[in-house]
Amino acid sequence: MLLADFINMLTWWQWGLLGLIPPAIIALYFLKLRRQPLSVPSTYLWSRAIEDLHVNSLWQRLRQSLLLFLQLLLIGLLAFTLLRPGWKGTELIGKRFIFLIDTSASMGATDTAPSRLDDAKRQVKALIEQMKPENAAMVISFSDIAKVEQPFTNSRRLLRQRVELISKTNRPSDLSEALRAASGLANPGQSDFEASDVQTAEALPATLYIFSDGGVGPVPKFKLGNLEPVYVKMGEEAQQNVAIASFSTDVNPEKPGQIQAFARIENYAEAETSVEASLFLNDTLLDAQKITLPPRGEKGLPGASGARFEMNNTIESGVLKLVLDTKDALGADNTAFAVVNLPRPAKVLVVSPGNDALELALGTDEAKKIADVSFAEPKLLETKAYADQAAEGAFDLVIYDQCAPKTMPNCNTLFIARLPPTDWAAKGPRQGPPLVIDTDQVHPLTQLVQMGNVKIVEATPLTGPQGTITLIDADIGPIYAIGPRAGYEDAVLGFELVTYTPEGKREVNTDWPIRRSFPVFVMNAVKYLGGVRSSLAAPSIKPGQPAILRTTIPVDSVVVESPRKERFNVPKEASNTYIFGRTEDLGVYDVREGSGQKVNQQFAVNLFDPRESDLKPKDVVLLGAEEVKGQTAKNQSRQELWKWLLLAAIGVLIFEWYIYNRRVYL
Amino acid sequence: MPADTLGTATEQLLSPQLLAQLERLELVSRKVFRGRMKGERKSKRKGQSVEFADFRQYVPGDDLRFIDWNLFARMERLYLKLFLEEEDLHFYALIDASTSMDFGEPTKLQFAKQLAASLGFIGLCRADRVKIESLGTSSRQPGPTLRGRASLWRMLEYLEGIQAGENVSLAEGVRNFCLRNSGKGILVLITDLMDKEGYEKAMRFLVAQQMDVYVLHVLCPEELNPEIKGDLKLIDCEDEDIAEVTVSRPLLDKYKRTLASFLDGAREFCTRRGMSYLMTSTETPVETLVANYLRKRGLVR
Repeated sequence: MLLADFINMLTWWQWGLLGLIPPAIIALYFLKLRRQPLSVPSTYLWSRAIEDLHVNSLWQRLRQSLLLFLQLLLIGLLAFTLLRPGWKGTELIGKRFIFLIDTSASMGATDTAPSRLDDAKRQVKALIEQMKPENAAMVISFSDIAKVEQPFTNSRRLLRQRVELISKTNRPSDLSEALRAASGLANPGQSDFEASDVQTAEALPATLYIFSDGGVGPVPKFKLGNLEPVYVKMGEEAQQNVAIASFSTDVNPEKPGQIQAFARIENYAEAETSVEASLFLNDTLLDAQKITLPPRGEKGLPGASGARFEMNNTIESGVLKLVLDTKDALGADNTAFAVVNLPRPAKVLVVSPGNDALELALGTDEAKKIADVSFAEPKLLETKAYADQAAEGAFDLVIYDQCAPKTMPNCNTLFIARLPPTDWAAKGPRQGPPLVIDTDQVHPLTQLVQMGNVKIVEATPLTGPQGTITLIDADIGPIYAIGPRAGYEDAVLGFELVTYTPEGKREVNTDWPIRRSFPVFVMNAVKYLGGVRSSLAAPSIKPGQPAILRTTIPVDSVVVESPRKERFNVPKEASNTYIFGRTEDLGVYDVREGSGQKVNQQFAVNLFDPRESDLKPKDVVLLGAEEVKGQTAKNQSRQELWKWLLLAAIGVLIFEWYIYNRRVYL
Repeated sequence: MPADTLGTATEQLLSPQLLAQLERLELVSRKVFRGRMKGERKSKRKGQSVEFADFRQYVPGDDLRFIDWNLFARMERLYLKLFLEEEDLHFYALIDASTSMDFGEPTKLQFAKQLAASLGFIGLCRADRVKIESLGTSSRQPGPTLRGRASLWRMLEYLEGIQAGENVSLAEGVRNFCLRNSGKGILVLITDLMDKEGYEKAMRFLVAQQMDVYVLHVLCPEELNPEIKGDLKLIDCEDEDIAEVTVSRPLLDKYKRTLASFLDGAREFCTRRGMSYLMTSTETPVETLVANYLRKRGLVR
């Protein structure tokens, strides 16, 4: 640490040029020594005056050429400055460096002032300062996406600028994309993480500096190859953070027309904490609760507590804001937003020769709230009015019961006992009775649909286009499946619910309509395929995730205004949806339809990420099979001397000027 | 000769006001010398004047007119009554006309001439024997011996003829002078004493001459307070000697100390040998110098 360390800043010919300066100064000095002749009455006294000065003439010469020595000292200082003397910080290993800088939400924590990200940037800049001219470095910032801020360059100025420009995001962390970008040059030809790739170009080994708090998932298949990883752990060990893990609203089941809000609050500190949670509606305080949170558990799980707010007033729309009154390291997770939008009923068209079970299920109050259902005979499909409406996407969902259109409409569809005129086909003959083996409980269409007590007389097994998901599987094959179609989804049920003989006699193919699961199935279909928001609150979106918006009437574009009051024009995609991807900021986004000024809907972006809220830096980052241990960066920065040297040079310059002007000699 | 009829030379050297001022003055000698002619000064010689000097026994051949008969009546022995003779005073002005004297504004030489003219004029007014010479004056062409106010014109003319550039050493010049002029009297040496061989030898010649010596050390402001700067090559105007200096505050201080010690040394040397020493700058007007400083020194009265 005490030994000075030098970084040569010039090439040999530049040094050569610099080396010419001192002889030039000396030459100029000798030119200057051509003293001006001055005739005097007598040199008698002068000779005697300078006589004793000649006694130690070497020192006298030194004194007389003080200016020369000051100038040489100045040049020497400047040359020394160009060697960039300093005390070595952490040494940079290797010749090529890749700096990965975590910009995820947790890096905004203020435990290391001013923030972890700023600390990381400072350390990266310090490392960049230590680079030798022949070194090259690359800067990548990553959250869940990676951004190559600066490809390999040896320009420290450029690197510094780029690092300076890196700003915090609210996104979660994911290292894999950044690693893929980083390994591009180090492990050429490795298009994926698979080892079987053939190397095509010369590998350029590099040192990979990861500046992160470790809140990243493991990257299982990654092979480091020629990368030498160094994980610089950011952040303090002891953490104080309280986070809102989720926040949602729902209709109060006990008091219809009123809503209640739920929040899950987590404590990442080692000690019990109590916080005050305040709920605001459109910035007006509604309610506040004091919540005591248990300490962090033994397994590292956070201590959690729930909060429930009941609102007596009927809220139709507005923004609910939950604020935790706590001063912890990460402020982003102390506020959560939930948007209560006016319910927008889905437009559903049922084309059926007659299906009382369906009519009954769609005629309930609950269904009327979420859907605007119209019924039509199959002969409607022949009319031009239908064709126009279907083409322009006037419906959210069309249910084709025992009939099929010639061309598919621009919306989601549910086919009952018929196959859509696309890639769908019968896997086998109509047979029965099928035995239901499994129901997909994860898919929203079949969530909570229990088929165990449902008897079906006959059904047709189905195969759909690529990407089709089997929802209900029977021994004869899938009998309820959903498949994609250019932005829409088609669900197909392989059996009739109610049929009518040509004579008009009602025949029953299944007892499903009288089972409890049938209305659930219908509601699921309307909610999911009709695009109805499941609860009063719009779903919360995580930062960086795209928000899929729908409008009641089709417009060409909607305008989304971010919490930062930036406006984005979002054009219409297929299926009457608008996909807004720039959900970087936390908060409430206003959506205006078309050119109108009225805010038609809102959606909220909340952090809700336990991994980001858990500020405790991880000791180890898993990169493929390799565990990279974190090192706390102490003395990372190189102590530079050149500023002081330049100051000294300026001082010498001023001194020289003073002596030159004032004729002061020692 | 009336002052207003004097030529241009007079106007340069002596102004009418100065002449009027000088007329009232008188040269004073601290010693009593023998003069050459009858004059206004007391002389060592016994002669005819009103001032009694001594008695002496009569020896045959003495002029009977000087016998003190009153004393003969009382003592019955013949005594001669001796009176002091009044004779002229010899005034010599020796001007250093070396090249180094050609510096200053006015030049030191001009100043020296002016001074010599002033003192010479005083002497002329008092019927003294005035002789002005420069150091380089050769024995073949000695300076004129002047007497009487009418000689003012000749004195000034001669002074005009003295030009700088007579580079003889001080000692040699003084020696030549002493050889030429054996008489006693007042000697005013006007010089800058800038001789690399030193002034001591020259002074000793003067001491040996047993004259009433006044050394008027003339220096110009450039020597007293040199206002030069930068890196300079100082060239001696007499012998082309070169001194390279880088002017700095300490060097100037050192120069001034050297100058002061030089002046002190000269003063002490002169004083110890009964010579009167006066350092003057060319900035001092001749009137002030003669009327005040030389008066205090006792050269003039």
